[in-house]
Amino acid sequence: MSITISNVSKSFSRYPALNGVGVEIQTGELIALLGPSGSGKTTLLRVIAGLEFPDNGGTVSFGDRDVTGLSAYKRRAGFVFQHYALFAHMSVFENIAFAFRVLPRRKRPPESAIRDRVATLLDAVQLTGYEKRLPTQLSGGQRQRVAFARALAIEPEVLLLDEPFGALDARVRKDLRRWLKEFHHRIRLTTIFVTHDQDEAFEVADRVVIIDKGVIQQSGTPNEVRKNPANDFVRDFLDLRQ
Amino acid sequence: MAGSSTIQLRNSAPPLRATAESPVAKGILVGITLVFLGLFLFLPLVVVFQEAFSKGAGAFLRAFQDPYTHQAIWLTLLVAAIAVPLNTVFGLAAAWSLTRFRFRGRSFLVTLIDLPLWVSPVIGGLVYVLIFGAQGWLGPWLRENDIRIIFAVPGIVLATVFVTFPFVARGLIPLMEAQGIKEEEAALTLGANGWQIFRRVTLPKIKWGLLYGVILCNARAMGEFGAVSVVSGHIRGKTNTMPLQIEILYNEYHFAEAFAVASLLALLALITLFLKTYAEWRAERQLREASL
Repeated sequence: MSITISNVSKSFSRYPALNGVGVEIQTGELIALLGPSGSGKTTLLRVIAGLEFPDNGGTVSFGDRDVTGLSAYKRRAGFVFQHYALFAHMSVFENIAFAFRVLPRRKRPPESAIRDRVATLLDAVQLTGYEKRLPTQLSGGQRQRVAFARALAIEPEVLLLDEPFGALDARVRKDLRRWLKEFHHRIRLTTIFVTHDQDEAFEVADRVVIIDKGVIQQSGTPNEVRKNPANDFVRDFLDLRQ
Repeated sequence: MAGSSTIQLRNSAPPLRATAESPVAKGILVGITLVFLGLFLFLPLVVVFQEAFSKGAGAFLRAFQDPYTHQAIWLTLLVAAIAVPLNTVFGLAAAWSLTRFRFRGRSFLVTLIDLPLWVSPVIGGLVYVLIFGAQGWLGPWLRENDIRIIFAVPGIVLATVFVTFPFVARGLIPLMEAQGIKEEEAALTLGANGWQIFRRVTLPKIKWGLLYGVILCNARAMGEFGAVSVVSGHIRGKTNTMPLQIEILYNEYHFAEAFAVASLLALLALITLFLKTYAEWRAERQLREASL
């Protein structure tokens, strides 16, 4: 599904996190929101998810649907949190099955169907056999993949990832980058991820949106941005000054 | 090489920390604590039970057959059964709003919750007399409508709610503060509504802290003397709770009976202590897991 964000501003008690941001994202694109910490990139992701609401005037649309006023639980965008936010008291199975358990009774699949769906999702993230583990019994990379499977359980049309590799060590990080790219190729889900690491953004994303001080500085393919940095900030941030 | 091994040998004794005490000081401190606990806590507890059984087990049991004592026990249970659930709901709501939302005056509210712990319980009772008593603000109106609050059960419940309302909220606020709201946000993005988030995500995370608060709240509700004494009016068989009944029995020289009822309250305290320790231990574990 395509996403259109226009004129989104967001202030937290006077200090502005986003200032008149507009972006268009095509169906199936893999987008990186790149910027230094405090730039507003995570706020933008949360506005898209419906975890924050833009100040007056801003709109967020999924396809033709204006979802600006819709709360996260009706917006149904898959969201993977920076530190995964797995339910600590639930097994891997129950974490992933959660989205089915909270469906209204008439929409809820029977237990056997839930088991099949969870099994499929676990297989997709290569964690078959880990159903009964608790999140504390998993490595960082495994937790990350459980969070992925959990977000995919709602069959989202949009996948939002907040610093998906931030908390992992370098080697696992590389593997997961490759995995995310392959995964995206396979299912072509509109995906937006937030990162402060330019290598990560340029290696994985189709298009990079560079943010600083709550304003979009430049957006384009990795090549475009590298060849024609729009301004001094982009040049500095990407270390492109000759 | 040889040099380093001698250094190692010299360092093999456990290093003295700056805060480490000598064994003598440690012994004295532990000793003082034990003597103090024994003298001021354990000994009185033993005396309560000893006095309760001073005229034998038969007399002990007979003490509870007295209709007024009977009534007092029932009233205590009734008051706790009303006050504890009320303050559980209040404590949950307060902890939820104070940890989930940032607003002006928030820290003042957190402090205000502790108010009943600072003021004398007698004042807590007196406030209700001033509002609902015969000479109070609402006194004439209440009399016209034939509603009795002071010197009746509603007043006792109100006073008990007042003195016990900090316990649940205080137990929950630090716990919920530490746990943050990421899991709740995750549940929201997975399509859970407010009630489902509370029941499936928040409640399991806080249940031991909640139980800890409820236990303390209950202990205080059953044991409260001061505030209840002011609003009760000490009407035998009607508005006497267990602590008030104990005082009356004692003042009328029914020592064995007084101590028998007192032993029941003491027993409650012991059970509370045991449950509290267990809940505390589980709550701490939950807090540790939250910081993982």
